[in-house]
Amino acid sequence: MTSVISLQKLAKHYQVPEREAGLKAAAKGLFKRQYKNVKAVDEISFEIQPGEVVGFLGPNGAGKTTTLKMLSGLLHPTSGTASVLGFEPARRSHDFLRQITLVMGNRNQLSWDLPALDSFDLQRAIYSIPANEFKSRRDEFIEILEVGDLVQKPVRNLSLGERMKMEIVGALLHKPKILFLDEPTLGLDVTMQKRIRTFIAEYNKRYGATVLLTSHYMADVEALCKRIIVIHHGKLLFDGNLSQLAEKFSAFKTIGFTLDNSNVDLSQFGEVVSTDGARVVMRVPKEKTSAITSRLLNDLAVEDLTVEAAPIEDVIESVFAVKKEAVE
Amino acid sequence: MKGIKLAYNFLRIGILNEFQYRANLYIQILQTFIALATGLIGLQLVFSQTTDLAGWSQPELLAVLGVFTIMGGIIGAAIQPNMERLMGEIREGTLDYALTKPADAQLLISVREFRLWQTVDVLTGFIILIIALNQMQWAVNLWAVFGFFSALLMGAMMIYCFWLIITSIAFWVIRVEEIANLFEGLYAAGRWPIGIYPNWLRYSLTFLVPVAFAISVPSEALTGRLTLETWLGALALTVFLFTVARIIWSFGLKNYSGASA
Repeated sequence: MTSVISLQKLAKHYQVPEREAGLKAAAKGLFKRQYKNVKAVDEISFEIQPGEVVGFLGPNGAGKTTTLKMLSGLLHPTSGTASVLGFEPARRSHDFLRQITLVMGNRNQLSWDLPALDSFDLQRAIYSIPANEFKSRRDEFIEILEVGDLVQKPVRNLSLGERMKMEIVGALLHKPKILFLDEPTLGLDVTMQKRIRTFIAEYNKRYGATVLLTSHYMADVEALCKRIIVIHHGKLLFDGNLSQLAEKFSAFKTIGFTLDNSNVDLSQFGEVVSTDGARVVMRVPKEKTSAITSRLLNDLAVEDLTVEAAPIEDVIESVFAVKKEAVE
Repeated sequence: MKGIKLAYNFLRIGILNEFQYRANLYIQILQTFIALATGLIGLQLVFSQTTDLAGWSQPELLAVLGVFTIMGGIIGAAIQPNMERLMGEIREGTLDYALTKPADAQLLISVREFRLWQTVDVLTGFIILIIALNQMQWAVNLWAVFGFFSALLMGAMMIYCFWLIITSIAFWVIRVEEIANLFEGLYAAGRWPIGIYPNWLRYSLTFLVPVAFAISVPSEALTGRLTLETWLGALALTVFLFTVARIIWSFGLKNYSGASA
């Protein structure tokens, strides 16, 4: 299978004016400006196959949005190449733009004062969607997201979550093959996040679309993405599936067991995360897992012992803690 | 043709939007009335001293006021709101959505906004114009009618290009609102025929800020002063400004970096 998204040493550098704080430095800056070259994205390469849903992770400022913007044709790369559906995004060919969509959780493109239905009509005109195709797809999306009673209300009267649902409907009406989703669930409550997640999964299944998604909510990533790409300080740090990520970055494992005698000092084995009646959950260093497990089994009367990878939030925390020097 | 369809759809949305804010209609009527009164008082003052101004009679100057009001309405309804929105979006880096659409980006950013109530000015301008033509005992003449409407269209186009050039500078220099404000001051100079100004000002109003072409040329057409040379000159300048605006806009887009997240 040929990949639909392909990045070869893609890089974006910014010249950022830099000066010290204070009036004197500001005045000096009028004549001679100091610039600093910031490598927002530093030679990253990866390939994505058709129909894949890929989680694109990294802490704030890692270069996720910059990469998405280069892939959707908004930014010209400083060096390297990007290819999406065989197009060079920065050329912004109409045939390319017709097949992609970009959703940003912190921006909206629907008319604020009008019902979403009016904005949908505008999308139809922009993408030249045939009338009957437009209508059936619009109604299909409205049904899946259960927003039939909201589409006639002015967008300004909708809640954040309701508005996001509308944004997503509007962004998918032209049946894009590639979805760039930049924090689509930002600021939404758990139920709403779940609903949007389900919808993205459904769209991916029905239309075989490829999705590249950034999110700070690990639940989004766990539910949707078989594959994870992590970037940090502009560099590619990891590309693989979730369990591999935990394997590579987590320093800890979680051991759960049931203890008959609760008067035992467990601190000699490791850090107790929680106790629920007789059930104990402990966090132990990864390399000591097997030693501690056998000691627990030998020394104490434990039952139902399980060893699990650390929760994804913990893994991500340790990934994000990686220092810049270590990446370079 | 897709462009016209797109513009129509945006126009429709713009009008729907405006109906949400009916109060703006009354405010606009009040504003138009005040501007009109000021203009008429100005004319009255001038003609209480003299019977003609650089060869223009009172009804002819009333016609200029009419054209000035019409053009002001066109700018306020269709040009200025789009350019102000663009300026803000460039500054805040939120132009993204307009650029991910399969349509000409320049067309898209030029038709997104429409202030319906500003067309009150266009309507008022035409009423003033009809009164003025009536006072001039004007006879319908094909060249004058054609000259007037084509010059009006070219004038609007030139002012659009001028705004787009200024706005595109925002891609490099983040704050251009001040330059844009300057335009309003210069535009006010268009209330009088360009011939009454000293040469240096006349040239800058003609070629730097094409106010002269936008207002004086249509007025000249109606008062029998328009020569073919002037008309061709206006056409050439329109094409030239459009090309320059398009080039600067395209370069600016390449420079667009968008504020992160």
